[in-house]
Amino acid sequence: MFAKEVRSELRARVAVNAIGLFGLTTLVAVAYQIGPYQIHEQDRPHLLAALLWIILFFAALSGLQRVFVKEEDAHTAKTLRLAARPLAVWGGKLLFNVALLAALQTFLVPLYCILMGMRVQGTLPLVALLAVGCLAMAATATMVAAIIARAAGSGTLFAILAVPLMLPLLVMLIQGTRMAMTSPAWSDILPALQGVGALAGVTMVTSIYLFPVVWND
Amino acid sequence: MTEKPTWSVWHWLLGAWMLAVVYGAFFYAPRAQGFVGESARIVFFHVPQAWVAVLAFCVNLWASLRYLVRRDPLDDARAAAAARLGLVFCVLATVTGSMFAKVMWGEFWNWDPRQISIVILLLVYAAYFALREAVADEERRGGLAAAYAALAFVTMPFLVFVVPRIYFSLHPDTLINVRGKIDMDSRMLQVLLAALVGFTGVFTWLYTLEVRVARVLLARRRREEST
Repeated sequence: MFAKEVRSELRARVAVNAIGLFGLTTLVAVAYQIGPYQIHEQDRPHLLAALLWIILFFAALSGLQRVFVKEEDAHTAKTLRLAARPLAVWGGKLLFNVALLAALQTFLVPLYCILMGMRVQGTLPLVALLAVGCLAMAATATMVAAIIARAAGSGTLFAILAVPLMLPLLVMLIQGTRMAMTSPAWSDILPALQGVGALAGVTMVTSIYLFPVVWND
Repeated sequence: MTEKPTWSVWHWLLGAWMLAVVYGAFFYAPRAQGFVGESARIVFFHVPQAWVAVLAFCVNLWASLRYLVRRDPLDDARAAAAARLGLVFCVLATVTGSMFAKVMWGEFWNWDPRQISIVILLLVYAAYFALREAVADEERRGGLAAAYAALAFVTMPFLVFVVPRIYFSLHPDTLINVRGKIDMDSRMLQVLLAALVGFTGVFTWLYTLEVRVARVLLARRRREEST
């Protein structure tokens, strides 16, 4: 399923283009208007952490929903239901969304650090937070994408359903990033890391049980 | 649809109980220490409203899971009724919390983690109704809404317990504080427990009414379909 998703994406590159260009455009707009010199030193951890995750979050929203919507649009969903077990479909789509988000983070976060002058004290804790955050965001987005693909007005509905569900995640990620900017100690980032990890875990476990119902409904 | 006499007795008892709660909140419970003026008395209304909101979302989850197993349209109606009432009590808890914030901290809205959490909870369950509106087919609507309700419910502990503990909060200790103790005058505690029972009764009454209306509408629709 994952290989099929990658092959399908490489043919059209809709999600990659949407996520990459949205992220880059927002980053350029933010860096041009705010840049590294417009923020007071004491405000830097708060504002830079929040802006980073806002850019990543909205860039992710622009592309993650496509995994299921494209199957409904192309009328391939019925074939997929016959060809693969629901959990294989869910796993493949989740892995693809994780890969997409990881690629976005790899491309955008270093660029953000350079353009915005973001200095990180705890690089490894931040990398761990980005990895767990990527998994949690992809898990929620994949399940919501499966739900909205079966409803009318799926594009608008994805944002309406996914944003409130991801807000607690976003709050914890911003807090964790702020701590990673000001302290190299793992203990400072640990509460946020545990919260994000737990949310990723419960979302994935819930999705494993719910996805077959949504998919076959 | 006629009301059974026992129901009528329960409604009168509930009304009397709530009157006693209001009386107890203003005249029986002593003034709390460490709060501005009489502001702490709002706890007798704010805490039960928040509790009922959480209870309603639990009922929503229970009915949603039941729907996924049995596919009975009445379970879908039960889930929607519980979510609707949960939203109402969530709004009431937000309003009473803001009134307390204005008296204690000078502003209705202070971006406190608990205020943010309850607004996110409101958005999560408002989205539940947006999803219901977007699906025309009833059976599919029930299934998708039930799946979303389950997904939404797992985020609730993070909003209620995790986020407020990661950030600094102005909010007073919860009823059972982090040390696992209840630091409250015994008369205040009596009124608060009575209010919790009373508000749970109000929720049960409203929920039962909603389910009865849904049952009647479903029966009428089935009759129309069969003729």
